[in-house]
Amino acid sequence: MSNPSITGEATEAAVEAIIADANARRKVRNRADRRPRVPIWAAVVLIVSAVYFLLPLYATAAFGFSTGKHFTLQPLWDGLADDGFHASLGLSLMYSVVTTILALVVVAPTAYIVELRFPGLRSTVEFLTILPFVIPPIILTVGLSSVYGINSPVNLIASSWAPVLLIGGYFVLTLPFVFRAIDNSLRAVDVRTLTEASASLGAGPARTFLGVIVPSISLGLVSGALLAFTTAMGEFTLAALLGYPTFPVYLLNVNGFQPRMGEALVLVSFLITWAGVIALAVVARKTPGTGVIRGGPM
Amino acid sequence: MARLELIDINKRFGDQVAVRDFSLTVEDGELVSFLGPSGCGKTTTLRMAAGFESPDRGSVIVDGVDITDLPPNKRDMGMVFQGYALFPNMTAAENVDFGLAVRKRSLAERRSRVAELLELFGLAHVARSYPHQLSGGQQQRVALARAVAISPGVLLLDEPLSAVDAKVREELRTEIRRMQVQLHITTILVTHDQSEALSISDRVVVMNRGGIEEVGTPTQIYSEPRSAFTAGFIGAMNEIPIRVVSGVKGLVQRGGRRVTAPGAAGMVDGQLGLLLVRPELLEPLGAANAALNGDLTMTGRVEVQTFLGATTRLLVRESQAEPSADSELPTTRLLAVDVPSSSAGRWPAGSELVVRIPVGASRVIADHPRPAGSGSRPPVAIPIAPAQRV
Repeated sequence: MSNPSITGEATEAAVEAIIADANARRKVRNRADRRPRVPIWAAVVLIVSAVYFLLPLYATAAFGFSTGKHFTLQPLWDGLADDGFHASLGLSLMYSVVTTILALVVVAPTAYIVELRFPGLRSTVEFLTILPFVIPPIILTVGLSSVYGINSPVNLIASSWAPVLLIGGYFVLTLPFVFRAIDNSLRAVDVRTLTEASASLGAGPARTFLGVIVPSISLGLVSGALLAFTTAMGEFTLAALLGYPTFPVYLLNVNGFQPRMGEALVLVSFLITWAGVIALAVVARKTPGTGVIRGGPM
Repeated sequence: MARLELIDINKRFGDQVAVRDFSLTVEDGELVSFLGPSGCGKTTTLRMAAGFESPDRGSVIVDGVDITDLPPNKRDMGMVFQGYALFPNMTAAENVDFGLAVRKRSLAERRSRVAELLELFGLAHVARSYPHQLSGGQQQRVALARAVAISPGVLLLDEPLSAVDAKVREELRTEIRRMQVQLHITTILVTHDQSEALSISDRVVVMNRGGIEEVGTPTQIYSEPRSAFTAGFIGAMNEIPIRVVSGVKGLVQRGGRRVTAPGAAGMVDGQLGLLLVRPELLEPLGAANAALNGDLTMTGRVEVQTFLGATTRLLVRESQAEPSADSELPTTRLLAVDVPSSSAGRWPAGSELVVRIPVGASRVIADHPRPAGSGSRPPVAIPIAPAQRV
């Protein structure tokens, strides 16, 4: 070797580099191996809330699927075969679907127009939508009864228009959730610029709303729909006091004389709700704009 | 494709004047830039052309037809927005197609037009990507393709490049110009970036406080600015206070020297004026050099050197004024002198030098008192190189 010292230095440097590199890798791996620590208080909170929420479910199941001595599914079959169950569930589903559609059709354009043209009115509108939190359903019912009741010149309660009252009431109760969900989505996209871009390309207001805005806020619409639907499905006060045998009202009645069947059906309603939530969550994830390619015009 | 006339446009927001007495004709196929600091009314003017704002007074006319009261979707204009405003639920191709679909063109026509535009803007490979999957530059190209797809009479660009990074910006502006010339499309470009305006426009409209400061070709705007505002706003400009001795002879005086400045012709005798000189036209001489006949000189000391790439800028502070100096004449505080970077080593910070001020080719403007409330400006606008003004 003509110049061994240089070669030796180079080799040394290379070896050093390799060692340094290996050390660095080991450090990274060690860091990755370390599991994130769960603080004790977080674990305690988790366990306590799990017990709080799951224990009643367990109790319901234990009571509903039992003859008192051993396990049975008989109360469930009885419930599913009950005419009252079908009738009340059908009624609830129908009213909830109508309420949901009504809520979306009214709130989405309203929130859009407020956002676009009257941003100054936004807080007023928001305040109006949260009124149901201030005025409980019982007050709403009393109000509806006296305005549209037997002594009123507009006696809707005794007429065939009565379901309008119920759906109207449901609609009001869903407002805070639906408005929030949709308004949040609208604020996440630049509504004004999108509208202007659409207009500059020749689209009229309807085309802009349905073709550009609605698809851009689909996530908000889905969660708004979900919240409206579950609120309407679970509503009790309004239906009970206005005399509608909806599903929650039916469940309460059944619990009085066939408690085990009632509890079994409560579990069924839980499952239905959960299935709905999961289905909508899946739909929401497949919404365009989040990575799923739909066929373009190409 | 179209000739756009803006006639005596005025717009107020509350008691704030946004645009005043704005009149401009953009010829068929011309690219005109609106250039000015933020809040000068350039975007508002553009939005009135597009129909998103309506002028309090004045009219918007395209090819002789008054469209002032036409809603935006009935105007034949394409627009590119500052933040792109791509439709997030549509692919690149669907975005470009939107205007064609609205116009109910045949499917075959739409397909071929979209394909052609994606090709033109180098987007064919991302046709099926959603906006959030595209880079800033690609998103901007989609926005351009979408605006151009409907073959609008007028194309409006609202700071189209402000959201992309510097390298892409230069690339894209050349591309915009190439496309604009190729499609022969009447275009207004709103920008606060002077190098953007100067590099790709046929004409530049310099705006300030809601009004037109001046209109001219990029060369005119840069080399022969007619107003102090333009001179200070575009590029770096030294404003050297002088006194007009004779407006008839074009004689000016500074520091006991009288020289002929053709730029001062027609000015009032005894008036204070400003000699406008670009930093690259000033010539540093060794301190030992004697004063030269015919030109003004200034003795000073280099305070800072700023490396700008090919050139280096010396900020020179004037030494004590001579005894014979005009007491009313303000002193030049700092003079920007550009020298080739290769010779910048001759003028290190702290060194004394004489700067030759070429008077012959320089413009002279009257040194108007500043409008009240605008704050006092230093005699020399602290020069900032175009490259630094990002």
